[in-house]
Amino acid sequence: MFDEPTRKRGMASLTPLIDVVFLLLIFFMLTTSFLQTQSLSVVTPAPSAADLPKDARVVEIWLNGDGSIAIDGKPIERAALTQGLNAAIGERKDITVTILAERGSRTQALVAAVEAARQSGAKSVGTARVEKIAK
Amino acid sequence: MIEFDEEPPRRQFETLVPLINVVFLLLIFFLLAGTMTPAENVAVSLPEGTLNDREQDVPTTLIVEADGFVWLGERVMDAKLSGAMVEKHLKDTNTKRVAIKADADAPAEAVLQLMEGLREAGVEQVTIMTERGS
Repeated sequence: MFDEPTRKRGMASLTPLIDVVFLLLIFFMLTTSFLQTQSLSVVTPAPSAADLPKDARVVEIWLNGDGSIAIDGKPIERAALTQGLNAAIGERKDITVTILAERGSRTQALVAAVEAARQSGAKSVGTARVEKIAK
Repeated sequence: MIEFDEEPPRRQFETLVPLINVVFLLLIFFLLAGTMTPAENVAVSLPEGTLNDREQDVPTTLIVEADGFVWLGERVMDAKLSGAMVEKHLKDTNTKRVAIKADADAPAEAVLQLMEGLREAGVEQVTIMTERGS
């Protein structure tokens, strides 16, 4: 009755397919990110630095305004912070680590100090910001 | 004169097939290896860290720029004043989980001020985002 449509021979053009695939490729290249982020849980600090304990069982990490770091007044490199803190704490684990951030110190130093304090196994970690560290 | 046999001209599709193969491969690679992240209006370079607490899907993200300003979604504020803004947002969304994305060069003071504001808003613990250090 009806004429059967003659089947097209060979492949249909590939160009539109390639166009779409390229578009998808570019889309995924632009929207994906390979950056691996990590998360670090930190207890929020009490508003006043005066609340921090100040007895012998406290090790202080100073984040100085010029970017340097010190443990109880002794300057230390950021890479050696964990080691230095472990040495300062010694065997006593009932110790409190206090991180004092002077005006001008940076977040990178703060994160390094918090991580070092966590890794040292100190009983508690306190953070406070101060205008100027009394040396 | 020596005459070489000319190669008969290839059909167009044959030359395109390897290209398509490679492009498909790249496409599948990006599909599988990448993770989609929602775009944020400020770009920060996260501080390097070693620890990972694997906190995931934190509903509220605060961004601290290198100059100390705090972003919550579309709003931007000084760190000193950010507590009230965050408190209202937390009340609206009924959550206590907050993540902080701070630039590595942001003043530690601003981050601590922000954390103090969060403490006053009733947030006991925050998640600071870091990048795996080398």
